[in-house]
Amino acid sequence: MTAKLNYLDSLKNCLRLDPTVESGLIRELHAHLEDKSQELRESGFSEEEATEAAAQFLGSPQLVAQQMYEVYSQGSWRQALFAALPHFLIALLFALYCWQSTTWLVAILFIATCVVIYGWCHGKPAWLFPWLGYCLIPIVVAGILLIYLPGGWAWFAALAYAPLALFVLVLVTKLTIKRDWLFASLMLLPVPVVLGWMLALGIGDRYLGYERLYEAAPWIALSFAVLTVTVATFIRIRQRWAKAGALLTPEILVLVILALASQNAISFWGWLFLTLLSLVLLLSPALIERKIREG
Amino acid sequence: MNYGRELLKGSTDSLLLCLINYQPMYGYQIIKELEKRSNGYFQFKEGTLYPALHRLEEAGLIRGEWQRLPSGQERRYYYITQKGQQALTERLAVWQDFSTAIDLVMQPATG
Repeated sequence: MTAKLNYLDSLKNCLRLDPTVESGLIRELHAHLEDKSQELRESGFSEEEATEAAAQFLGSPQLVAQQMYEVYSQGSWRQALFAALPHFLIALLFALYCWQSTTWLVAILFIATCVVIYGWCHGKPAWLFPWLGYCLIPIVVAGILLIYLPGGWAWFAALAYAPLALFVLVLVTKLTIKRDWLFASLMLLPVPVVLGWMLALGIGDRYLGYERLYEAAPWIALSFAVLTVTVATFIRIRQRWAKAGALLTPEILVLVILALASQNAISFWGWLFLTLLSLVLLLSPALIERKIREG
Repeated sequence: MNYGRELLKGSTDSLLLCLINYQPMYGYQIIKELEKRSNGYFQFKEGTLYPALHRLEEAGLIRGEWQRLPSGQERRYYYITQKGQQALTERLAVWQDFSTAIDLVMQPATG
């Protein structure tokens, strides 16, 4: 009996499927183990030996989990396009110089919020996470912009805002990691891009930042176009290692675009910060997931 | 041995479709039936059967449905769909042609 539960527990730990598919598969394998144990008991095995052997006949839970992942991990083209849409909209916003229009920004944020609420209530499908990232970005950006409030207000606002913002970010990221760490990395993908552009354009200096933003708009559009292609590719790929690779590649490409467009506006420390941030945002969800699953 | 495994790997979907077309079955039953019909030649790695069944289900060739057995236990039976039947017919035709061609080539050498 223990062998059966151990097997199903380790399978659960390795599975990264939609919760309904996952519970259905566990139930199915539980039934299989029951049948196999019964057959073995009838052929003379003891209860304990039978369950142990039945679990062995099923083979490595890691392998079963990997094969099951590959069955369900590939989204359709429609899902891929929908998942890539928020990045495409932002790319379009900059390519058409519509970023100055508050209406467009609010409209995109509103659409993203609606999509996130719908997706979150409907089993958190893969296409949800790029949209979720955009719902989190205003929280981060607002926190950074608080620094530029006059006088002592900046500290006061930051002290009140930071814990609340951190709580929301950590909670959402943790819930996403529980689903699959790759989705958390997918969700956080635009964060280094946005911060990189903020550093490059010196958003703190309102007039200079605005002018630079206008000049850099095609480059910004290009970096979000890279994210668009990345997300669509991520959704269409089956293997986990390839998905992780697909998330790493655009970060390098975007850093190159930033380097070309920023004309030495980012200091050495800025580059170091961006590179480390990209790596941390990409890989830390994997470490956190391991901790969560082990705990 | 590896050649046999490769052949089985390439034919798994057709074998599963064929068995499920014969009658709706659940996972464990499929393994037993396959073993019985092939006189023990086909011995599936049990854990790999379920990904194969779910792959066919995702492709719309079969559909799974939980059913209660007379003993009170529940099992997930797989049924072939219309699309699955069409795919099976096509695969059988290809297999017949392939097998005939192989025989034509192999027979003079072995005969």
